[in-house]
Amino acid sequence: MSDPRATGSARYAEDFELPGMLHARIVRSLFPHARVVRVDASAVPESCIVLTPDDVRDLSPYGCQIEDQNVLAERARHVGDPVAAVAAPTPEQAEEAVPLVEIDYEQLPAVFDAVEAAQPGAPLLHETAAAGGAAAYFAMRPQPGTNICHRFRIRHGDVDAGFAEADAIVERMYRIAGAQHAHMEPHACVAHWDGNRLELWTGTQTPFSMRDDLATIFGIPPEAIRIVSLPMGGSFGAKTFVRTEAIAAALARKAQRPVKLVLPRSEEWQTLNRHPATVTVKLGARADGTLVASQTTCYADTGAYADCGPGVAQKMGFAAPGPYRIPNVRVDAYCVYTNLAPNGAFRGYGQMQSTWARERALDTLAEQLGLDPVELRLRNIVRDGDVYCTGETLHDVRFAECLEAAAAAVRWSEGRRGKGIALVMKGMQTPSRAAIAIERDGDDYVLRCATTEMGQGAKRALSLEAARLLGVDVARIRFPDPDTSLVPYDTRTTSSRSTYMMSRALAEAVRDPRGYGEIRNEGGLDPDTGQGIASTHWHQGAAAADVEVDEETGKVTVTHLHTTTYAGRVVNRLGAELQTEGSMIMGLGTALFEEVAFEDGQVINANLSDYATPSFADVPTRFTYELIEEDGADVHGLGETALPPVPPAVGNAVASLGIEVDELPLKPETVLAAMKVRV
Amino acid sequence: MHEPEWLAPASLEEALALKAERTDATVVAGGTFVGILVNQHLLAPTAFLSLGGIRGLRFVAEHEGELRLGALATHRAVELSPLVREKWPALARAFSLVASPRVRNRATVGGVLGDADYASDPPSMFVALGARVVVQSRHGAREIPAEELIVGYYETSLAPDELIVEVIVPGGPHRAAYRKFRTRSHEDRPSVGVAACARDGGLRVVVGAVAGRPQYFPELCTGEPASIAQAYAEAIDPIGDISGSSEYRRRVIAVEVRRALEEIAA
Ligand SMILES: Cc1cc2nc3c(=O)[nH]c(=O)nc-3n(C[C@H](O)[C@H](O)[C@H](O)COP(=O)(O)OP(=O)(O)OC[C@H]3O[C@@H](n4cnc5c(N)ncnc54)[C@H](O)[C@@H]3O)c2cc1C
Repeated sequence: MSDPRATGSARYAEDFELPGMLHARIVRSLFPHARVVRVDASAVPESCIVLTPDDVRDLSPYGCQIEDQNVLAERARHVGDPVAAVAAPTPEQAEEAVPLVEIDYEQLPAVFDAVEAAQPGAPLLHETAAAGGAAAYFAMRPQPGTNICHRFRIRHGDVDAGFAEADAIVERMYRIAGAQHAHMEPHACVAHWDGNRLELWTGTQTPFSMRDDLATIFGIPPEAIRIVSLPMGGSFGAKTFVRTEAIAAALARKAQRPVKLVLPRSEEWQTLNRHPATVTVKLGARADGTLVASQTTCYADTGAYADCGPGVAQKMGFAAPGPYRIPNVRVDAYCVYTNLAPNGAFRGYGQMQSTWARERALDTLAEQLGLDPVELRLRNIVRDGDVYCTGETLHDVRFAECLEAAAAAVRWSEGRRGKGIALVMKGMQTPSRAAIAIERDGDDYVLRCATTEMGQGAKRALSLEAARLLGVDVARIRFPDPDTSLVPYDTRTTSSRSTYMMSRALAEAVRDPRGYGEIRNEGGLDPDTGQGIASTHWHQGAAAADVEVDEETGKVTVTHLHTTTYAGRVVNRLGAELQTEGSMIMGLGTALFEEVAFEDGQVINANLSDYATPSFADVPTRFTYELIEEDGADVHGLGETALPPVPPAVGNAVASLGIEVDELPLKPETVLAAMKVRV
Repeated sequence: MHEPEWLAPASLEEALALKAERTDATVVAGGTFVGILVNQHLLAPTAFLSLGGIRGLRFVAEHEGELRLGALATHRAVELSPLVREKWPALARAFSLVASPRVRNRATVGGVLGDADYASDPPSMFVALGARVVVQSRHGAREIPAEELIVGYYETSLAPDELIVEVIVPGGPHRAAYRKFRTRSHEDRPSVGVAACARDGGLRVVVGAVAGRPQYFPELCTGEPASIAQAYAEAIDPIGDISGSSEYRRRVIAVEVRRALEEIAA
């Protein structure tokens, strides 16, 4: 079977066309914070449709978790904030029209750092707290009069008493730079109105959230909207919720014609990146290594609009303590507005940031106690049936196994100079819902579900699982692109949940005489105490790295990278392996050099030459991984698990040489500077 | 905006005539540099003068002991040439370290000199090897020492009617090295590139990617590796960009020049 993605015959959202459609471009703010005083489109040729803030005044603000964004900004809050849009018969004409739209601005004070922005007196981005969005699955805790749009806390035990008992305390501040998803296919969609019905073909991981948000924006019932999620040429979290779709739909409404909007590459950096974060970790332990207290403060920089930043900050916070038994835990996580481009979902979802901080801090603590970092972790590691600091009981726990396997892979016991190890504990969307319908069509079975395909192989995995459950050849399973008018509701294709959740719904559907299956996972956390159920299903993994550091230039070379992931039952072996390899390579980028660079709020490396991503030539000579499997066990999501532990494994390996770096990426320059202060 | 005109001469004579007449035309060889500028709207010429159809400028050959590279020889052709690998291995290496195979299959010898990009690898190596660049106009050809071709950021000493047609690299016994220091991906441009060549008791050390043109200081090329390296680090005022700050590059120059010299001494 030749894969259409390999032969070039695959059709992505970018390839979708409708007769008579126009091509759109966005006119973006040049300033990080400015009031739009005047938009003058008189120089734009008549063949173009121009959308200005006046045209969208009847539309409601939107936002998946906080409704804080307008379709077009009358007050631009970041460089690149959409202020107007044009649609023209050809993409070239649209592009030429952009500079003809004249915009006058009145600049406002701006703030570019989350810690600074959270302080009283910082310039405010949103004076009043907006309503919660349709995809908010927890209570928002905005802090009035500040830029903090959500605050999440865990309160467990008595942290002060815990630290008072400690023989050793480590407290450090860690930073992690923003990153760009760099999916190959840019954001692309086509919007079309059929009377009062909106039809939208787009590459999205979240068709139902998209439908609900557009219903809010246009004030029409969700049933009047049809979203077709076309296969994506990569996403990694970027193609979630409303990105360009509202603008395309508003243009189509004004033009009375279908409108296609494809983002130029450079605009991807103005659309969505990964949250830069500052995470302070304080750990206390007894002399024997027993952890007695853990305190974490996270500042997640969500940029100009919240997007799903509250959820990212909450997840950053609730998994921050990690897979360790700690009697006293305090977490404060803040999601903070700044005048940077919006930051949102990114493979690893909050875990990249807090895993880096915690796992680095544990190694520093081990060093201080004179303990082996693996020993320290094993002494405190959670086991089956342990209760996490949220109050939930952990099941099917394999952290110790992951850790020991990763340590063995880099021959930890033969000496640990140049070696580092890290664990990840990542939650899955809770609560959520998944449903699927199986239809017969002659000899074929048609899967109707909203699970989307972004290159992760969801279609393949679920088709294989359907074939297995139905006892038929996989060639008889068809899996059309999700269409919200034809498929049952599903929360979304995120947080490595789909193979796990949808395959369980599928099993129900196979048993059901009507061919319908639905699964829910229930839970959620109290945002003030962090008590409840954070995740009904935890992703468990470890990474180990062996590195060399050029002592004269600070350049880090990873000579061996290994990850161990608890996979439970593997549904699609090749897919599981590729997901793991991809996560590891992505992890190396974040570990060593990936960084969205800003100057006065403007991204200065918004192209794929100045923003470097790893190539295959960057893959270490020894690049190994294993999936811990168990027959009859649950399927375990693994689309992200091998990613967050990679940077701290590399950072800890560098630290084993006496070079303590608290900041990602581990650029040669940063490492060299850390060497000068080495003990 | 009109479609730019595509001028595609089949011979060098025709190309030189067009180069003189069509001052509005942008020369394009492999297009890897020009293509990006056009896509990013940094360049919107009314015409392109494509050299791709010219026969006879793709040679990689030895002539009277010297290496002769046609302006249209690709990076990949230089990198993989058994002749270059055997007799000018450091040059083959410098070309092999450029970008990715995809880029090297298109990028040409004339293009990497003609674009005068500061963050390139081969130009420094050419300078260290004492190469001459043959440039030609309707009125005839002249040879320029490689160090005089690139004069500043994206700026060459070519006259408006001239094209690069060939690069000549002296042969004979020599020991040379090329070191490419990258701070990010393996396919990235250099943060610092060091080319060194010892020949007939003389030494040429050239540092690339740190300033507007390859940095060559004949007067600093004597002494111990470490002291030459230190002298270069002090003489150069490096650029700071996304691949490293000025201060950091200065430090790397001192390290990498020394290493290059140790490599050729070994
Ligand atoms: C992704 C990427 C990564 C890169 N990484 C590196 C790297 O690591 N190291 C490195 O050294 N380089 C790197 N480069 C640059 C690459 O080497 C140059 O783009 C390439 O050498 C240019 O050659 P070309 O034939 O494609 O030139 P073109 O794009 O066709 O032309 C380049 C310039 O030279 C002029 N020109 C071309 N031929 C002639 C001629 N015969 N006479 C006069 N003028 C001429 C053109 O007018 C133009 O201004 C990279 C490029 C890309 C796209």
